[in-house]
Amino acid sequence: MTAPSGDTRPPVERVTRPPDAGRSDGTAPSVGIPKVGTSDGELVRRVLAGDTGAYAMLVARYRDRLGRYAVHMLGDRQDAEEALQDAFVRAHRSLARCDDPERFGAWLYGILVNRCRTTGGRAARRARLFVRDDAALSGAPLPGPAERAEWDDTVRWALGQLAPEYREAFLLKHVEDLEYEEMAQLTGAGISALKMRVKRAREQLQIIFREAERV
Amino acid sequence: MFEDRPDLVDRIVTHLRRPVQIDPALDGRVMQEIAQVDTGRRSGAAVAAWRWLTRPRQFAVSPLGALATAAGLAAVVWALPGRGVRAVPPAENAPQEFQFVVVAPRAARVALVGDFNDWDATRTPMRPSQRGGPVWTAVLHLSPGRYRYAFLVDGSRWLADPAAPHARDDEFGAPSSVVTVGGS
Repeated sequence: MTAPSGDTRPPVERVTRPPDAGRSDGTAPSVGIPKVGTSDGELVRRVLAGDTGAYAMLVARYRDRLGRYAVHMLGDRQDAEEALQDAFVRAHRSLARCDDPERFGAWLYGILVNRCRTTGGRAARRARLFVRDDAALSGAPLPGPAERAEWDDTVRWALGQLAPEYREAFLLKHVEDLEYEEMAQLTGAGISALKMRVKRAREQLQIIFREAERV
Repeated sequence: MFEDRPDLVDRIVTHLRRPVQIDPALDGRVMQEIAQVDTGRRSGAAVAAWRWLTRPRQFAVSPLGALATAAGLAAVVWALPGRGVRAVPPAENAPQEFQFVVVAPRAARVALVGDFNDWDATRTPMRPSQRGGPVWTAVLHLSPGRYRYAFLVDGSRWLADPAAPHARDDEFGAPSSVVTVGGS
């Protein structure tokens, strides 16, 4: 048995209770996360029983999946990791209030959506500290293709042009593939409002790209 | 008039749906922050309990009630078997159970090494919480004292525990941590 030795992550935690050896296969859906091995519900129950190590498995399971939403929503990897870390810590603190442990992922998603709103608002205020001449900015030309050589940069830039609530709705619907009912639960917004936001986001993205192509 | 271009939106969505990899070190930071919060919560509860126990209180007792209480206590003391024998204090050197946890997603084997097993990598192998899982654990019973320890991944990579103080008197040139058991 061999494995690269340079890909390990740092040690994390020491607790005072041995883990429960019991396992079960998960069957309940949870925001697109394939269940392999121990189910979310079983891990949540082990954490609540004092096995802090089981929470590390939940973090590893949801890190990248939820990280994608945070990165696209906030447009900044550092802000995204900050929001993600905050969401994981808050979820652990409130784990006893997770009514359906088998749907831990959906519950965690709601916490992350809120943390992204808070972090996004803070980032917007931070940006305003540096950009004071809004009038000059509004008349500034769109970045040309030369400045946006990569499609990735272009998409990120275009997403950043959307109002946060439009960006949120667009990502949850089209990228995270949620139903409007699920989105309503996560965001607290009504279904008709969400549909309107998704529609506007689609239109605005197309307008933004069309304008960019003219430059 | 707005010209709908669903192909453009589809292209954007396809791009955004690509997997995003977050720095795996985030796991360690999350668990470290949780450990700090838990430690603070536990110490906060202990402080609150100590304050509750040591807070002075006033009681109002009638003379008859005081006499009855004193008589009851005297009867209990007189009736105790082995009167005059001092109670045996709880064992101060009783070992305490500790679980050590490390996240090493692609490690083939992980060992816990330290003063408690003479830094012998064969004596305390850690077990993955699930087959192929990233979380490795080991449970030890440690007598009160101060121990240096580290995690040895795949027999060659040494890791200290960021959730614990790092050893200052490191004479091996490899990172190690310190755990203090009991009040010593």
